[in-house]
Amino acid sequence: MSAAAFEHYTVQATPEAQKAGAVALAVASLPESFGPAMDENSADVQVIAGQPGWTRHAVEAISAGARGIVVVNPSPENVNELTETAARHKSAVVLDQRWASNPATAAAEDAVRSMAGRAVVLDVVATAPVGTDSGALLADQLAAVVRLTGPLGNLRLLDRRPHGYTATAVLANGAPVALQGILSNARAASVTVTMLTDDGGAAVSLPDPVAAWPATVKITGPHGELLLPTIYESAHRATWRRLKEHLDAGTLPSDLQQFAAVSESIATLT
Amino acid sequence: MSSPTDATRILGVGILGAGPVTQAIHLPSLARLDHILSVRHIMDVDPKVAESVAARVGATHSTSIDALLGDPDVEIVAICSPHQFHAEQVIAACRAGKKAVLCEKPFAMNAEEAARISAVSAETGVPIIVGAMHTFDPGWLAARDNWGELPEKAHTIRSSIVLPPNSRFEDFATEIITRPAGGAPDYSDPEVIKGALRGGVMGLAIHDLPLIRRFTPDFKDIEVLEARHVRPFGYVISLRTPTRTIELRAAMNNTWKPEWSFEALSDDESLRIDFTPSYVQAGSAVATFSRGSQKTILGPFEHNGYEGEWRELAALAAGTKQPPSAQTLIDDLTFALDIAEATVATLDRRTVVQPAVSEGVHA
Repeated sequence: MSAAAFEHYTVQATPEAQKAGAVALAVASLPESFGPAMDENSADVQVIAGQPGWTRHAVEAISAGARGIVVVNPSPENVNELTETAARHKSAVVLDQRWASNPATAAAEDAVRSMAGRAVVLDVVATAPVGTDSGALLADQLAAVVRLTGPLGNLRLLDRRPHGYTATAVLANGAPVALQGILSNARAASVTVTMLTDDGGAAVSLPDPVAAWPATVKITGPHGELLLPTIYESAHRATWRRLKEHLDAGTLPSDLQQFAAVSESIATLT
Repeated sequence: MSSPTDATRILGVGILGAGPVTQAIHLPSLARLDHILSVRHIMDVDPKVAESVAARVGATHSTSIDALLGDPDVEIVAICSPHQFHAEQVIAACRAGKKAVLCEKPFAMNAEEAARISAVSAETGVPIIVGAMHTFDPGWLAARDNWGELPEKAHTIRSSIVLPPNSRFEDFATEIITRPAGGAPDYSDPEVIKGALRGGVMGLAIHDLPLIRRFTPDFKDIEVLEARHVRPFGYVISLRTPTRTIELRAAMNNTWKPEWSFEALSDDESLRIDFTPSYVQAGSAVATFSRGSQKTILGPFEHNGYEGEWRELAALAAGTKQPPSAQTLIDDLTFALDIAEATVATLDRRTVVQPAVSEGVHA
């Protein structure tokens, strides 16, 4: 099948989104699919930074005719109106989240969920540079872990300090979940998700999308340890690829529904 | 006083208790040190075990502590008996005029016992070390020589332990002749969970609590935020002091893959130490310092912390090294006891507040 069978979409990004989402690089790496818009008011895809108020900007962009919306690092916010607007206009809204959007999460989700019923503990550690807002870090961490495991029960914040936080939850089978956020410049920002079962487990490490370094997904069982294929693609580019698939197929992604569930969890934290 | 001859001659070792730890850990370690140490006497309450284990190393055997402590060939005593006997046996070994004593952790069951031991050690001049093997691991010691101000600046500390059943590694180390019988605990009983968590702190976490304490200047103000049991044996314990966040994780299950790590992070530097499993002679831990994109890796070295303990004992008995301060041993013990007690108290609070919630029931 030739590339000409698919559409080419024009892109417009706000300066904040351009920077946070490395939009120019992502678009340049998909040149048959996307390209900069000459006229900013007529772009097929609008890219929005996820600061508070982003849902309103997204609704406005859809109302103005955008067929696709990319939201970079969305902060927790009610997405009901946006979800309705997107559905009404058949506009695809994808979220570019630092860890949850990593392309390795698809296979990692399969691995983790297939053993979740036998899990005895889940340990999730997010590390980010000093100065990172710990609320945003927790949101990113939860987005990643919920993407892999599904909803967590009894989520509570145990402690919050200038250098991080400690949270607790349980899996559906009652196994303890420990969530820790650490602010430090000592090592690269990442989230690690370790699920242990009686005879093995899964270990997932998701890197920041500042480079296309691959996530690692390891599955341990009586057979030994299996490293799933490494994917040298950042969360940014994977998001754009997903958007392209939805735009071509005319389907609506489930990003907003998943995001709503995580936002709800965060809202319940004390 | 020691002489150059004392420092180079082979020292006699006596071991109280000949269970799996003696068979699979101490005897293999001592076999690597036959140029400085020789096992002369094995005592166990089971005469067959004592005889069999002693025969492996050509040592005398007995079922009596007095017989071992009265044996003039025994200069260094290792106490590998059940926890509740440790204090009395350490004191008896000091009073018997031995040159050095190794006591498996914990060396006492409460602070009063610890103080009594310290007083006897000071009075008799017999040095005591506690078998917290990671504090003698060359990987840890290399980290100590390079960590600068990290112990003062660290704000987050993590200890993570994932271990297969002991038997997996015992069988790599030796041919075990006795093993304690396993049980099938009733996890719906809160008292069972409490006992498991207390045992987890005093039997497993205690290996690394001296390391954690080294990075926690305000360790006396430790607080347990939450403690949960991990099936079949393990824990998730979240702790804090006014300046530190401390996370303890452990799971002993049927995996083949061990992981035993210690981490300390400050704003701009981190230390991660990956230890080798107990029982196997797999060399030392590897210490990794990270400062942004710069990494410094120390190790592995050729011996582990158990062998390090025995090297230390030989040097103490020969008078070529100074023993650790009694206060260090007492502080390490009380730190562990404080965490164990606070962990159980946390469960009591949870039982009162949420009588219907018990995640262990469903797991």
